[in-house]
This record gives sequence, C-alpha cells and structure tokens, in this order.
Amino acid sequence: MSDTLGVARPRLDAPEKVTGATRFAADGYVHGLLHARPVLATEPHARIRGFDTDATLAVPGVVAVLSAADLPLAGTGTDRTSEPLAREEVVFAGQPVALVVAETEAAAEDGAELLVVDYEPLEAVVDVEAAMEPGAALARTVEDSDDEGGDLESVHGQVDKGQEDDAGEQLSGNVLDRVTREQGDVAAAFAASDAVVEATFRTPWVYQAYIEPQVCTAWLEPSGTLVVSTSTQGSFVTRRELARAFDLPLDRVRVIAEPLGGAFGGKFALVEPLAVGAALALQRPVRLVLTRSEDFAATNPASAQVTHLKVAARADGTLTAIEARMIVDRGTNAGWGVEGATSLLVAGPYRWQAHDLRGYGVQTNRFTFGAYRAPGAPTAAFALESLLDELARELDLDPIELRLKNAVVEGDVGVSGNPFPTIGAVEVLERLREHPLWAQRNSLPDGEAVGMAAGHWPGAMEPASAVCRVDADGTMTVVTSVADMSGVNSGFAVIAAAAFGLPPEQVRVVTADTASAPYAGASGGSKVTYTVGPAVIRAAEAAREKLLAAAAQELEIAPGDLEVVDGVVRAVGAPDRSMTVQEVASKALRFGGRYEPIEGHGGSAQTSGAPSVAAHLSHVRVDRQTGEVTVLRHVIAQDVGRALNPALVEGQMRGGAVQGIGWALFEQLDHDEDGRLLTGSFLDYAIPTAERVPEIDTLIVEVPAPDGPFGAKGIGEAPVVGAPAAVANAVARAAGTRLYELPMTPPRVWQALRS
Amino acid sequence: MIPAETRYARASDLDHALELLAEPDSKAIAGGQSLIPVMKLRIARPSLVVDISRLDLRGVEERDGEVHVGPLTTWNELIGAEVLQRPPLAAVAECARGIGDLQVRNLGTIGGSVVHADPASDMPAVLLALGARLRLRSPEGERALAVSDALVGPFTTTLEPDELVTDIAIPMPPHGSGSAYASVEHPASGFALAGAAALATPDGESVAVTGVGLTPFVLSGDLSDAEIFGDRFAPAEYRRALARVVADRALSAARERAKVNR
Ligand SMILES: Cc1cc2nc3c(=O)[nH]c(=O)nc-3n(C[C@H](O)[C@H](O)[C@H](O)COP(=O)(O)OP(=O)(O)OC[C@H]3O[C@@H](n4cnc5c(N)ncnc54)[C@H](O)[C@@H]3O)c2cc1C
Repeated sequence: MSDTLGVARPRLDAPEKVTGATRFAADGYVHGLLHARPVLATEPHARIRGFDTDATLAVPGVVAVLSAADLPLAGTGTDRTSEPLAREEVVFAGQPVALVVAETEAAAEDGAELLVVDYEPLEAVVDVEAAMEPGAALARTVEDSDDEGGDLESVHGQVDKGQEDDAGEQLSGNVLDRVTREQGDVAAAFAASDAVVEATFRTPWVYQAYIEPQVCTAWLEPSGTLVVSTSTQGSFVTRRELARAFDLPLDRVRVIAEPLGGAFGGKFALVEPLAVGAALALQRPVRLVLTRSEDFAATNPASAQVTHLKVAARADGTLTAIEARMIVDRGTNAGWGVEGATSLLVAGPYRWQAHDLRGYGVQTNRFTFGAYRAPGAPTAAFALESLLDELARELDLDPIELRLKNAVVEGDVGVSGNPFPTIGAVEVLERLREHPLWAQRNSLPDGEAVGMAAGHWPGAMEPASAVCRVDADGTMTVVTSVADMSGVNSGFAVIAAAAFGLPPEQVRVVTADTASAPYAGASGGSKVTYTVGPAVIRAAEAAREKLLAAAAQELEIAPGDLEVVDGVVRAVGAPDRSMTVQEVASKALRFGGRYEPIEGHGGSAQTSGAPSVAAHLSHVRVDRQTGEVTVLRHVIAQDVGRALNPALVEGQMRGGAVQGIGWALFEQLDHDEDGRLLTGSFLDYAIPTAERVPEIDTLIVEVPAPDGPFGAKGIGEAPVVGAPAAVANAVARAAGTRLYELPMTPPRVWQALRS
Repeated sequence: MIPAETRYARASDLDHALELLAEPDSKAIAGGQSLIPVMKLRIARPSLVVDISRLDLRGVEERDGEVHVGPLTTWNELIGAEVLQRPPLAAVAECARGIGDLQVRNLGTIGGSVVHADPASDMPAVLLALGARLRLRSPEGERALAVSDALVGPFTTTLEPDELVTDIAIPMPPHGSGSAYASVEHPASGFALAGAAALATPDGESVAVTGVGLTPFVLSGDLSDAEIFGDRFAPAEYRRALARVVADRALSAARERAKVNR
C-alpha cells in the first residue's frame, strides 16, 4: 500500500487519448442517425414573429425544421433545459431559435443557412450596471410562469447564500438576486485603520474553451427508453433535468456519460434537450455536435463581474474591515448566479474584524451564465489580492507576511459565520515563501517583477456510492457513475488498489450509465475524489471482506489473521501460507462455487468540508513600448491534503495556473454596444497556448483532510483562483501601475503605462 | 463549418489551370490555408476549386540580380532557402518563421498570401519593403505588377479573376544591405497587430507596415498622417504607436544586418 499511494502514475485513459482510440460522444455509430444544426439568434433581444422554412425544407435531405413549439417540452420554464429553443422571446444573440434536422451534416448546414427568422427587435440590455437602475429596460419581458429553475446550482460547490438584503435599495427588475453578509461595525473599523484602499475591478465573460465542443446523441429504443449518449459532467443530473423538461419517468431515460474532452463547468444539460427534443419529435436518432463558433456563441460561459472593494489594515498588517459590492452579470440565467459565492469568497482565507459584503445577480442580454472552474472565485481573488498588495505597499510590509499574519486556521470563523475546518493556508504561504523566486524578486532586470497571490475553494459534497468487483483473473473493476473529468477515475484506481491490496495496474475503472451505475453526483465543485473516493474505499473493503472470508476457508486461517498484499492473500507473520487473489476469485466465480463473488458496494455522505488553498508566484516581463506581458515563470503551492497520485495533482495545479494566466492576460468574450459577440472564435478569443505558458513549478503541500480518502482534498478548483491576481500583482510591480480590469491585454497595459 | 457544394479539379499544367479558371466563380487553391477557412465559413463559395498545388511554380532561385520565388513556395521552404538566410533578404525567412504554426507553414504559400490580401498578413509588408514584383499569367497573356500596385484594400487586389501569379521577383539589394521583419502578434489569431519590414541599403532605407491599415503600405513619414485602423481590442491610437515601435525595431535590426554584410 505504501508504494500505491503517492506515486506518480500516468492517467489510465492517457494511451487511448493520445493514440486517438477514445470514442467520444460524436464518434459512436448509430443506425439511421439524423444530424441537427442549430440556428442561432442574430438579435440580442427580440420577439420571434415567425419562420420562413420553405427554402430550408426544399434542400434535399432536410427532414424537418423544429422550433420550440415542435419539441415535446413539459413546462414553460426559462432555464436552458426547459427552453432549449427560444419560445417567443430571444434573450441573447447566439440563443438557439430552431433546429434543422437532416440526413447528412452537409444538408443540415445547407438548410440552416437558408432558414429565415423574422425578428421584432426589442431594446437590448447590455450594460450590467445600467441594467440595475430603476426604470431600466428589462432583459426579459415574458415572465417565467414555471420557474422550477432546475437545481444545477447544487452541483457547483456549496457556498452558503447569505441573507437577503432588505435595506430598500431601489433596483430594477433585472436584479434577480441580492445577497448580503454583514458583521461588526465596518465604518468604525475603517476609521480605526492605518491604511484603507479601495478600487473597482472588472472581469469579462470567460469561455471554458474545452477541446471537445458540446455534443449529444439521443435515440429511442424500441421499448420506448430514451438513450442519451453525451459529453456531460454528470449523468444522473442530466437524467433528472431531461426527465423534468420532457416529463418522462426517470427509468425511461438512460444517460451515458461518454469520455469527456474537457468541460470545466460548462457541460450540464445544455445541448441534451436539443438532441432529445428532436429525437422525441421525429422518433429517430439525432446527433447535435456544436461547431466551435456555435459553442462560443450559444453556451454558458463564466459571468462578467464588476467588483467595488474596500479593505483596511492596521500598521502591523492586521486586516480590519472589508466592504464589497459585487455585480454579477448572469446574462439570461434566472435560475442561479455566483453572487452568493463570489461575495463570500472575496474575503479570502483571511480573518476580518468586520465585513459588509453584497452580491447582486443581474440579468442582461448576454449569454446564459454557467459554471466555470471555481465559479466566482478568480474574479473575487483578483480584487482582494490586488488590494492586499496595495495594503502591503502602503504599510511597507512583505506581501506574503501580510497574508500569513491574517491567514485562517482551523476553527477561525469565516464570513459565512461557520468555522473553517482543517485548512492549509499558513502551510501553503510558508512553502511559497521558501521558493527561490521569492528571494530573487528584488534583483530582477528593469521591466520584470514577481507577484504573489493566494486563493481558496471550499469544496463541495454530495452522497455517492461505488462498486468494486474482482474478476476470475484477479483484476478489479471499479464501477461508478462518475464522468471521468480531470483524471478522477485514475485516482479511484489507486484508492481501490490501496484499500484492497492489489497492484494499481490490476484495477480498471468503468463509468457506467444511469441504468446500471451506483449513484454519484456530477463531476464538479472539487468534490469527486473527496466524496466518491471514500465510497470506493468502502466498496474495496467490502470486496476484501468477501475475499478474506473465502481465503480463510481455503487456507483454514481466521480472516483476522490474513492480510492482502500486492494481490496475494497471506497469513500475517507466515507469508508462505498464501493464495493469490486470482486463485480465490476463480474459486468463487464458477459453477458450483462455494463462495460469494468478491464484490463490494460502498457509499459515502460527507458532511465536513475540506477547503483547499493554493498560492502563486508569477514572474513577468512587461514590454513598456508595446504593453505585451510575458510570463517567464510561474510557481504554485497548493494544499492537496494527500497527493494520491502526484502526477494527477500536478496536472491540476498546472492546468489551474494556466487557465488563471488566461484570465489574467488573454481571455474575454467581448460584445459590441448592441450585444453582439465580437470574439466568438479562436481567431479573436485568445487562450494561453503552449508557446505562451512558461515553466510552472508545483509545490505540493499535504495537510490531511480528516474525512478525505487517505487524507485527500478536492483540489481541482483552488489552483485557478489566485493565479490571475498573482499575474496582476506582478504586472503592477513591473509596470509601476496597476490594472483593474482583466484581461491585461497589450493595448490596456500600454494605456495604463501612458496614464 | 461545411463548405457549400463545390467541384474540384486538379490542374496538370499552367495552361490547363488557366483553362479551368475560365469558368466564372472558379477559384485557384494553393495551400488552402486561407481559402478553405473562408469556404468553411461560406464567405467564399466557388463553384469550382482549381488545385494548382502540383504546378511547377515552386522554389527560390537567384538570377540576373533578382531572387525569383515561385508562388507555390511554402513558408517552410522559404525558411530553408539559402539566399534568404543572408542579410539582404533575411527579412523573408524571418517573417516566414513567425507565420502560423508548423502545419500552416508546411502548406501555406507565399503566392496565396499575397493574393488573399489579408490586411494583417505578414509577408506582404516584406515584399513591399523589398520592392517585389509579381509576374501574372492569364488567357490574354502575361504582365508584371508591383506588389504595391496589387494590394489595394482588405482582401482586394488588382488581379483579374482569371490571372495567376507565376513568379515573385525580388530585386537583390546591393552589397552592404540588410533587411528585417518585426511584429507584435494578435494574441488569438497570431496575425500581425502591427508588423514592419525594413530594408537598409547603402543608398537608403525603406520600411513597410502591415496590420494597421486597410492594406499593408510603404511608410513615408512618421505615421501621424497615415489612416490607421482600430477596433475594440486595439484602438487606432495604440496601433499607430505599435507600428512606430515595430518599424523602429525592424529598421534597427536591418541596419545591424547591413553592418555585418559590409
Ligand atoms: C492557423 C492559421 C494561422 C495563420 N497564421 C498566419 C500568420 O500568422 N500570418 C500570415 O500572414 N498568415 C497566416 N495564415 C495564413 C497563411 O499564411 C496562408 O497560408 C496564406 O495566407 C495563403 O496561402 P495558401 O497557399 O494557403 O493560399 P490558398 O488558401 O490556397 O489561397 C488563398 C487565395 O489566393 C489565391 N491564390 C493562391 N495561389 C495563387 C496564385 N499562384 N495565383 C493567383 N491566386 C492564387 C487563391 O485563389 C485564394 O483566393 C494562417 C493560416 C492559418 C490556417
């Protein structure tokens, strides 16, 4: 076991993925398949008067043009699952308004090009701050009469929502949600502080930019069961959402989570209702694969946000008060927003004496907001960590020391009102401080600087179960419903191997569909390893009991005197009295066998959180003539609880840092003044490509989570949180001027350098 | 993302190509790195695609005081050409090295780049600074056209629809010359936000810029009067400043190379 955990191993799916052997949702062969092409709204806000379908239907191979009324939808909700095609009101440019379904992809595209949609334009709401003003035009005029809204929020991390504001602020109907958290006398605390800094920060809509665009194939079995083969983060949540939207019994919907080509929060029942609606309407298999441009325009990126933040400290660096007013652009998402999460996370992993934190969720005619790795956190950390550096500068304190002085430890009560569980904030900051780059920061050439920042993610919880089955060849198969995102299946393999006593190479992991898999929630919120991992341990232990019971009879030794090491059952202290797991299993799994199959089921219902903290150093060079920023080197230290497979952990740390560099320097979904998307392709939307990403040092810190599997924590989201702020702090030092808006593009840096 | 219906024909030689291109709405295809993307977006929808990629119009050859570049020469072939490593024409290889990615450089051609006339493409600036001329063939015959006369607007040239570029002639600068290319790339597309090519000879200097106007142009003056293009990402004021920076950088690098060549 000691050489099972903590050893860097390649992902189980790596050989298949790199050799192109993986079958993604777009690859499966389905007899009689039809292809759907969405027609996207060209208007940001409009009423649909009607469609002229003649030319489309005249294209050979086109089978149907479907509008909302043609889909057998059950309700009138306005969430994207309930309203996959705009009913009468278009609420953003890019919203699907019709599907053209054809025998070939080419015919569908020919048909879609010819469809004429008659719009009556309405006033578009594109400025999120103006949208809040009393009397502002509304981004949606038709009321949602049936707003169950789904409950997709629950899958993205558990962040409590604070109390509602009743201060009587005058706001327009575009403000869908207000969250307030107050404690202590903020004004007095500011007045008694030695340094007070404040600023307004802006972050844009950011696209998840997964490699595999959204895709779904749906068909009806002759029995009437709907089968949905899809690229999703969660099969059970997709089944629930589809059953709700189309009013189907759960057992008539079978969702298969196919191998994921990336998701980052964006793949939750968004395109499934389109493929399913068409398959139900036409009674034929239908596939929808979004093109990259459609994926840019029609999906659900991270919210744009405006953050007014004010923080203060005493001369010795003790943080005193924090006041935030955070405006979250939800686009058209009436169901949920990140105003609760972002206004909680803006306090960071620090102690405050008084706080007044407000979040506003505002609707506009831009996209539908969706989850993105650590929803609401990078933008909150960008604001907070920028101002902490400003405090350090004003008070002439070392930025890491300032943070260390205020870093929370277990038992400190956070702005949520709840005490923090075990948390490695101090350990992570101390580890980062030891990196040589931090010492080098004062001896760099002109135009270069090192910045630092921290961030955390609270994690999430959901009951989960797993099954472990040993076959007659002595190998184990772990079965869960978990969509294999970020390598979680490879984590399950070492967890099961360690808990059972097998070499990890002998463990396979299968993602089963909703018809047969044990329950687990969606992959997201950094909760998979933390919540499904313990279920895998218990399942492996239950299987091990079966193994020991059988081996005990075979070897005539009490089960308590047996151990399982490296695939061998042996007597404790007498290792030559042994049988291999394979020998025991093959005695059970045969006609006339006398032992129960070596299988176990295990469940978990975590109730304690395990937040993860990550801190970054970013070394940048600013070209003062052109405004270009180059990240020369980046360091990330993260508390992961226990690194079950350091290769996977480092992959998450690097990936988070890279996405954070994207937030910092490159990524923005920008609209024109009318609300039309300007950066809807990779020709316009920049991401941190390999040539722009520097060497990234990973420092793994292990502060075990008491209830985590072997001490592990959820680690997927924390690494992105502080990265943009670290780059911003480095740019501020290198340029000698701070930028308050992301991304820090060359024109913006150049402008800042001039003013 | 699927082109509109089209037909395809491979030209066996230049005359065959010209014959095929007589069809209205036909279009030549070389590397396809510009044409295929616009066909996929259905911005271009030729009825017939005439594949000229196998024609014998490729290679770099020094002859009679000029360097002749076949229009079908790929970026990678330019990068490897011996004469383009030397200071006077080093800008050509330097520019090609920064274009696209390896796949693009293996397929994309210099002729296609000039005729596509993307206002942010890199190589036209180099050809302008070096005073290159195109040789054109059509069913009517042959003519020569300076690159500066060919490029008239975004994605617009003065070529006739049935004309093919058969040669790109670059005058060999005198001994003691150097050339260079410098650019700042758009972070997404990799095309030039501003790019500049410079040639420094004992007799004088010339600089051309790309990415900042409706078409690449030869610089005269300090850019204050030039009509500079701007958008939400990079306002005109920024592009103007950037053009000055890359022009300076290209010119200093060209002068350095000229010194080495003395
Ligand atoms: C991912 C990507 C990145 C790129 N990055 C850059 C970059 O950084 N900088 C840059 O400058 N370019 C870039 N390009 C464009 C690339 O350089 C193209 O290859 C080039 O612009 C066109 O060459 P082609 O051979 O592919 O032309 P094609 O696409 O085959 O043709 C383009 C046009 O030229 C015409 N044509 C081609 N050859 C002739 C000829 N001999 N006579 C008459 N007409 C002709 C065609 O009819 C067509 O109209 C990029 C392209 C891609 C796909």
